[in-house]
Amino acid sequence: MTRRVGIIIAVSAVVFIVVFDWLLGTPPDPYRAPDPMAFGSTSGASGAICSFAPGAEE
Amino acid sequence: MVTRTSLVIILLLTLAVIAGVRFSLLLGLGITIGFVLERYGFGFAGPWRRFIRDRDAQGIIAQLIAIGLTALAIQPLIAYAPGTLIGAIAPVSLTMIIAAAVFGLSMQMILGCGSGTLVNAGSGNPLALAALPFFGLGSFLGSLLIPVAIQSTPHIPLSLTKLLGVERSVVITLAGLLIIGLVVRGFSQGPIWNRRFLTAAILLAALAILHVLIAGQPWGVVYGLGLWAAKAAQGIGWDPNTAQFWVHPINASALKGSILTDTTSLTNIGLVMGSALAAWIDSVNRPFKQPIAIWYYLIAALFGLLLGISSRLAFGCNVGGLFSGIASGSVHGWAWLVAGFIGSIAGVYLRDNLWLLASREAK
Repeated sequence: MTRRVGIIIAVSAVVFIVVFDWLLGTPPDPYRAPDPMAFGSTSGASGAICSFAPGAEE
Repeated sequence: MVTRTSLVIILLLTLAVIAGVRFSLLLGLGITIGFVLERYGFGFAGPWRRFIRDRDAQGIIAQLIAIGLTALAIQPLIAYAPGTLIGAIAPVSLTMIIAAAVFGLSMQMILGCGSGTLVNAGSGNPLALAALPFFGLGSFLGSLLIPVAIQSTPHIPLSLTKLLGVERSVVITLAGLLIIGLVVRGFSQGPIWNRRFLTAAILLAALAILHVLIAGQPWGVVYGLGLWAAKAAQGIGWDPNTAQFWVHPINASALKGSILTDTTSLTNIGLVMGSALAAWIDSVNRPFKQPIAIWYYLIAALFGLLLGISSRLAFGCNVGGLFSGIASGSVHGWAWLVAGFIGSIAGVYLRDNLWLLASREAK
């Protein structure tokens, strides 16, 4: 068995997560999509970021 | 190669139509980052290990350059567009520092940091594949512990750009990186420059800057993994209203929305896909099975779990906390660097001993 098996497992897992989320959650709505780039637009960062600390913000 | 490129283009165009151009660009960015990290053999856990074990500073020097170049661009950009663009600013606290040390130790145990575990999994590494689901689970568990940590110890957000202004913050950030570079060079045995790593560092910095311009926030990893696990938990009956972290409007919105519109989820997916693309051809020449006893996979799962918990409590892994934190001018990034490195020293020695044991048992 080669690493190719591992690659197939990893990519399949990612596809499974996306499909699972699509079927059970809210699908994306392209009509509510933000501007292509945050910079220079009015639709900025989502704020959903690793450093986000609710309750201890600046 | 043409087929793979065509597939990626079709995928990105499809995502642009069904979700939006920004999300397509973010996935493309993630794929490129994953490809670069895998193709150039660049990362965080490996270079730290080589420095600790062999006093080989080439990887660390490249990391410092990548962070410096990113800081030079994103600190002024974020100051220029406040509100639209945000930095990776997080509090410094005792729990944050301990968590960063635990992350440093854990990433050495599986030889994969935040980005590295995704890239390694994408390239078919079985240890990373064992660790990754637990990394996500740990990230979710860590998110439940964040409010407890914040209430139990003082958490002080310190932004150099807010404290000192952008110019001084950039100068201090670059000076700090330079000092670390000089200290590292002092301990180094051998050349400190490596063309391959330097190329990867420059590419990574360019991609990290693009990330800020497109997403409005710096690159991160662990938030997306925790989000996936939170969605799975919700699917089996967990009520997010019982968790202080997830009732916050930003997190509640991420939980309600599609992962195809979540920034860190998209770049995480891209990292796996990009490294898979980079590793695809050579993968047939590399064995899947590692020459170790089966119990080391349990060790990988355990430390994957710790990676997740600790990276949430440290407000980011080596990417969101260290790389993006320092580049944004957050003091927590510097605290992460010191604590994470101390943890890594312990991790290198612990891994070497356990790996030796696991290798002997496998023979």
